[in-house]
Order: sequence, then C-alpha cells, then structure tokens
Amino acid sequence: MATDARHPGGTLRLSSARLALLYAMLVTVFTSSVLLSVYLLTRNALEREISAVVRAEVDDLSDDLRLGGIAQVAATLRLRADSWGRTGAVFLLADPNFRPVAGNLTAWPRDVVPIGREALESAMVEFDIDAHERGESVLHPVEARIEHLANGYWLLVGADTSERLNVLRRFGLATAWGIALTALCVWLLGAAYARRTARRVRAYATTCETIMQGDLTQRLAVDGSHDEFDALAVAVNAMLDRIEQQTTTLRTAFDSIAHDLRTPLYRMRVRLEEAQLRAGLPTEAHELIAPALHDLDRVQRTLATLLQIARTEASGVTTHDEHVDLAALAANMVELYAPGMLASGLHVALDAPIAAPVTGNRQLLAQLVTNLLENALKYVPAGGHVRVSVRNSPGGVSLSIADDGPGIAAVDRAAALRPFVRVGDAPAHASGSGLGLSLAAAVARLHGAQLTLGDNAPGLVVHCEFPAAARREAPAGVAQVR
Amino acid sequence: MHLLLIEDDAEAARFLAKGLRESGYVVDIASDGREGLFRATEGLYDLIIADRQLPHFDGLSIVAMLRKNGKHTPVLILSALGSVDDRIEGLRAGGDDYLTKPFAFGELLARIEALLRRGNQPEVTTRIRIADLELDLLGRKVTRAGTPIDVTSKEFQLLEFLARRAGQVVTRTMLLEAVWDLHFDPQTNVIDVHISRLRAAIDKGFERPLLHTVRGAGYVLRDGD
Repeated sequence: MATDARHPGGTLRLSSARLALLYAMLVTVFTSSVLLSVYLLTRNALEREISAVVRAEVDDLSDDLRLGGIAQVAATLRLRADSWGRTGAVFLLADPNFRPVAGNLTAWPRDVVPIGREALESAMVEFDIDAHERGESVLHPVEARIEHLANGYWLLVGADTSERLNVLRRFGLATAWGIALTALCVWLLGAAYARRTARRVRAYATTCETIMQGDLTQRLAVDGSHDEFDALAVAVNAMLDRIEQQTTTLRTAFDSIAHDLRTPLYRMRVRLEEAQLRAGLPTEAHELIAPALHDLDRVQRTLATLLQIARTEASGVTTHDEHVDLAALAANMVELYAPGMLASGLHVALDAPIAAPVTGNRQLLAQLVTNLLENALKYVPAGGHVRVSVRNSPGGVSLSIADDGPGIAAVDRAAALRPFVRVGDAPAHASGSGLGLSLAAAVARLHGAQLTLGDNAPGLVVHCEFPAAARREAPAGVAQVR
Repeated sequence: MHLLLIEDDAEAARFLAKGLRESGYVVDIASDGREGLFRATEGLYDLIIADRQLPHFDGLSIVAMLRKNGKHTPVLILSALGSVDDRIEGLRAGGDDYLTKPFAFGELLARIEALLRRGNQPEVTTRIRIADLELDLLGRKVTRAGTPIDVTSKEFQLLEFLARRAGQVVTRTMLLEAVWDLHFDPQTNVIDVHISRLRAAIDKGFERPLLHTVRGAGYVLRDGD
C-alpha cells in the first residue's frame, strides 16, 4: 500500500504552503512596483514644481528690474524677506562683488561663487544654508537659480527643499510599510487558506481509508459552505451511496445463490444417502453412489470457496477485530499438515520464533495458510521441502511459505491469483479447483496485505506482508517438525 | 430421546426424521418458524434441530426467544449459509452447534449425540480408562497395559477428545474444530493421517484395537467392535 496515501499531510502541507508563499511573493512584487512608480512620479512632480516657482520668481524680479531698477528689486526683496519662514523661499540680491544688497540670506553662499558667467546661468545649483531656529543652528538644503543682472549685480532665487525631502522620506517610509503589511497579510491569508485546504483534504483521506478498510457507512464531511470541497464531498458521497447499495445487493445475491444452490445439492445428498442406506441394494449401485457423493462434496466445496471469495471481496468487514498471533496460527497449521506432508515424502519446517500479532479473522487467516499448504502438498514432488516463516518486519508481520517444487513461471504469476486458473504442468493427481490461491489472495487483501508470488530458485515462495496489530513480543523457539 | 426438527424443506425433513428414528430417536417435525417456536416452547425436548432460513421466524430468532424465556434445550442450527461469519452469528445467537448444508447424515448424528451427552459428563476427571488404555489427564501421560506410550501434545489432545467421548462417533470436522480450532474443511484428509499415527501409537502390537474407523462418519474409541 502506498505510504503517501497513509500520510498525505506532509506533502499536502508542503504544496499548499508553497502556493501561499508564491502568492505572497507575487502580490509583494506587484504592490512594490505600483507604490515605487507613485513615489518616483511624486518626486519628479515636486522637483518640477520647485523649478517652476523659482523661474516665475526670477521672471517677476526681472520685471521689477526693468521697471524700477535695482532699487525696486531690493524693495521687493526686503518686502518678501519676512515670509521666508512660511514659504521656504530664498532670495538674495548681491553686488558684483557678491556683497548682499537685499534678501533673506546674510551672505552669498560660499560653495556657489560663480567662476564665469556661463557656468551659473540657466542651471539650478544646490547648497546648504545655516538657519537659526529656536537658538539652534540647522542646515537647510536649498535649490536655487542664479541670474547675472545687466548692471553686474547677482540675483539668487531658490527654495528650501528640506520640506520636500521630509515629505518624500515620509512617503517612502509609508510605502515600505505598506508593502511589508500587504505581504504579511497576503501570506497570513494564504497560509490560513492552505491550512484549511490541507485539513479538509486530510480529513477526506482519513475517511477514505476507513472506508477502504471496510466501513462503507462512513461519508465525507459536508460543512455547508457550498464551496468546491463541498461539491467534491457531495459527489463522492453520492458515489459511496451507490457502492454501498451495490455491495448490499451483492451480499444479498450471494446469500440467495448460497441458499438456492445449496438446497438442491442438499436434497441430492439426502436422496443419495437414503439410497445408500436402502437394504438389499446391489454392490454396483453402491459403487455408483459413493463417487456421486464424493463429486457432490467437491461441487459444494467449490461453491463454498467461490462464495467465500466473493463475500470476502465485497465485504464490509465487521467481525474482523480478533487479535491473531500469526506465529501461533502458522505453528498450529504446520502441526496439522506435517504428518500428511511427511506421508507424501515432504519435509516441512516452521520458522516463527516470536509472537506476530495481526488484527483480523482467525478462521480466514487459517484458511489462507491452509490453502497455501495444500498447494505445496499438491504440487511439490516427494523429497521436496516446505518452509513456513512468520517474521516481525518494520511495517508489520510478514508470512512466507516457500517450497522447492516446480514453482510458477514469472509470466504466469499474476494469472495464478485469479479464480479457476491453474498454471504450469499440474500433476495428474492434483484435484484442486484452481480457487485456493485466489481465496488466499482475497483474504490477504481483506487484511490489508498483498499476496505476492516469487521465485524461490528453485520453487515457489508466497509472501504476505500484514500491517501489525498492537505489538507484544513473547519468546518462542524455532521449531523443526520431522 | 425426544428431538424436535424445525425444517421447511419437506423432503429433507422426512429423510432426516427417518434416519433419526432408525437411530433410535423420537422425532417431531415442525414445518415453519411459528409452529417450531410454539412446539419448542411448549414441549419437553432433549434437543432441537432448527433450519436457519424458515418462514415466519428464522432459526436464529427461535433460539434467541427460547433463551430469553429461560429454556436451555440444546439447539443445533442447520444452514445453507456457510461462511465463517454466518457460523459465528449462529453461535452468538445462542445456538449450541452449527452445521452447514449439505452435510453427511453421519455428521449430523455424531453432533446430536455429542450435544445430548454434553450435559452428563463428570465434572472433574483426572483419569480415563478404556479397556487397558489409560489416560492421565494431569500428567498428560498415556499407558496401555501398563506400558507407557509416547505421544505428542496434539496426539494427546486428539486422544483425550476421543476418550472423553468413548463409544461415540467423532467426525473429522469435530476433531478439526476441537483440536485445531478450524471451522472449515480442508480439501485433503489431513485428519486421517493424524488418526493413523495415533492408531499406530496406541493399537500397534496389541491384539484388540481400540480406535475404530466408522465408514462415512468418523472415528470411535471403544473396547470391542
């Protein structure tokens, strides 16, 4: 049985978590690029605005110069000096030697002393000014334009950009937080959804396993949310209803067949036995009746075995809760068959050193071992060896019955497990119905085990791996039956 | 011994009744579940043989109702349902034995005898003697004419089962059930080989055989033919 089907949790959790992570990453990338674009656009717009304001001021002051000369410019600047704190505007009119004439700067900034006329025209310059706020000296970055006026005076018009930088910093911070929070929320939601999905799928898997173990009354849970899982559960439940109904029909059919065929067989036997008991019957009649009764027994056994296979396959097992020690069972069966095998010239050995508990139906398990031993008895020629081993394996309990007889060719092994199939050159005295292996395989399946045929080189080895019951070890010796 | 046979199959009932009467039993026949339950409740029978599938009340309901009314008459259930689960169900319902159709008449006879004698076995037995064969049940030892006989533990179990029913026919299926706890028939006659070994152990070299084969039925341990 596939281990994945038993432990679906691990892989499922992994795949849904991976999906949640992928979504979180995608959302983060999208959000980040959108917010980053907004940030860059805003920064550009702010820069353009400053440069436009500065240009407008320069134009205004140029008009003043044209209309009223330097005196008019100085007057306007003096008027505006008060508003520095409010608008962040920076003005300075200086004489050709950069000595301040008017404006709200106390001195011409040192880093922007023009070297040549062209160098300062048109381009924006950046420098820091030292402002005094509440007794402290604070550096303010400024972006400004410098005009060389007609009379050799210098005009500097600029704007304090510290406010803009603050805005941008705050905006950037908000953007980063937004991205982080979005990613977190998406991941949390994704993880929660993934968990829910995994939980439901796991619940379905568990229910399906219970059903596979024979409890056909179990159904998948429908939580009424009408989502795709509910739709799936409803569909699967409908399918299960149908299967359960068919199984019931089949069981009823098997019982009817059993009854309808056994009753005439029973009457036939009754009549033959009555005839046998009749006084004065010639010996020839007895010679006819005895084999007829023998054949009747065989028909009845075949019928019983067929019905047992069919019922086992269709079984909604309810009585299969016995704790069976497979080692003790094998020992019991070997003890039963040893004298018969010895009489046929076979050597049988038992290797079941410690208790090997499985859960199941003791009679069916005994039937499984019986059928395998009877096969060995039938097909292994005199002088052969049969070895029955029961071992505690990591996954549970393994049972194998090996012989050194003719074996079954690899190509025929699958067919040999089907009803009425007899493979190879069966000896003439072999009188099996071809149902023995088929029933053994059905019993193994009913107990969650897989019956496999292998090569014992030479001979056949039949192997069954059972899931373990609650394990309890008891010592026992390796018994050799002679 | 007075038996009640509840069987709706008239021909089978007639044959069984005839065979049982020839074997010395007094037999009443009821042909459906209602009549069967009525007779079983009213009459004083030593044993009831009930078919499982019957009109009105099935065999299992009859057993259940009898047990509920405090009647402990042994009941042998006959059934065309032969799976292991059916058998367990039959015995759980209160049946004392379960026989699957079709069965040999000898098998039925042996089981009836075993059920009838079950009640009057001595409580505690430590020794059983049949002619010069002696079983020590505590020491698990067998002697014949004072000579110890070596038997395996399974052979001792077989011998004990036969000895406790000395004079009664014991069938192969009864031995399979009692000694190996198997409730199905293997295809080969595995029991026969065990019996021959046991016979070789206890009868070989002695003039009078004690373990006899009853043709078409089973085996019997008894002194004389």
